[in-house]
Amino acid sequence: MNRRVLVVGLLVASPLLAVLAVSFRYDPHFIRSPLLGKEAPNFRLVDIDGGTYELAALRGQPVVINFWATYCPPCIVEHPMLSQAADHYRGQAHFLGVIYQDDENLIRKFVDQRGRWGPSLIDPDGRAAIAYGVYGPPETFFVDRDGKIVDKVIGEVTASHLRATLEPLL
Amino acid sequence: MSQGLLSIARAGVAWALLTAALAVALALPGSTQPLEPPAAPVAPVASTAVSRPLGDPAGPPRSGAELDRVTERLASRMRCPVCQGLSIAASRSISALNMRHEVRELLAAGYSEEQVLDYFEQAYGEFIRLVPKPRGFNLVVWVLPVALLALGGALIARLTRSRSVRSASAADPALADYRERVRKETSD
Repeated sequence: MNRRVLVVGLLVASPLLAVLAVSFRYDPHFIRSPLLGKEAPNFRLVDIDGGTYELAALRGQPVVINFWATYCPPCIVEHPMLSQAADHYRGQAHFLGVIYQDDENLIRKFVDQRGRWGPSLIDPDGRAAIAYGVYGPPETFFVDRDGKIVDKVIGEVTASHLRATLEPLL
Repeated sequence: MSQGLLSIARAGVAWALLTAALAVALALPGSTQPLEPPAAPVAPVASTAVSRPLGDPAGPPRSGAELDRVTERLASRMRCPVCQGLSIAASRSISALNMRHEVRELLAAGYSEEQVLDYFEQAYGEFIRLVPKPRGFNLVVWVLPVALLALGGALIARLTRSRSVRSASAADPALADYRERVRKETSD
């Protein structure tokens, strides 16, 4: 009887333990974007300075799209790095910031103090964020010169990751 | 770049000339420049557009009580991306409100519930469905509870049967002496 209980217990517990063991290998917060490899949803948005930007019009050069907000600490951390990167790749790649659920005046004050690395686009009703499947800021999308999304970073993007992803797209 | 110029050209010759000049500036170092002059800003809502790869609506436009009902039904099937297991109908987060607003707009235009779900799924993946499609690995969600229930039922039935056999043997007077002997030997 004891052996039988042991066998049944093992039969029930083994698959559960296997699922648990496999799950430990993955970050539960990471969800692969179904947009990778697909055409980036086009948008035409107005930035805080009144300029209008259309993604499709930037074809021919890679585009880095960063959804960000002033209340988001990682966005503040990556801001100087994005400024440097935008300077470094000036003329070779475009950098677009899309405001994610934030006050336009706070954004203006923030970039006035810390500098602009690209336009800060206003996203009414979060339509662009929905089209890009954004969960929360910051999220960064790398779009190649043909308009395809080649990478998405959830959370702070590092300089090394940005370089490694962007360089092959130039 | 050329597609962008082409689409702008459709807006009119005057705009095309103006934007072509700006587009040339785009190609020069100094880069990401506005397509339209900041000196003449356009009202953000009027000029804002986000493409939605949805195709044509499957049905006629909806409105009134029917639109409310279908929106509520679909919103309760969609997961809020910033919540813990809540639907966008139940959540009061800005993300959920924005999504509900978009769902309502698409349903009002005549898109079917499945078309709207597919659109959101293209961006968020199957995560957006509170009830995943019953296919592939997802079948485990449907099959496993039933299988475990059947297994548990079988186990309980088996244990009950063996217990009743044991209690039947315990009541057998022929074994009474034997049981008493065992009890004495083990208690010593």
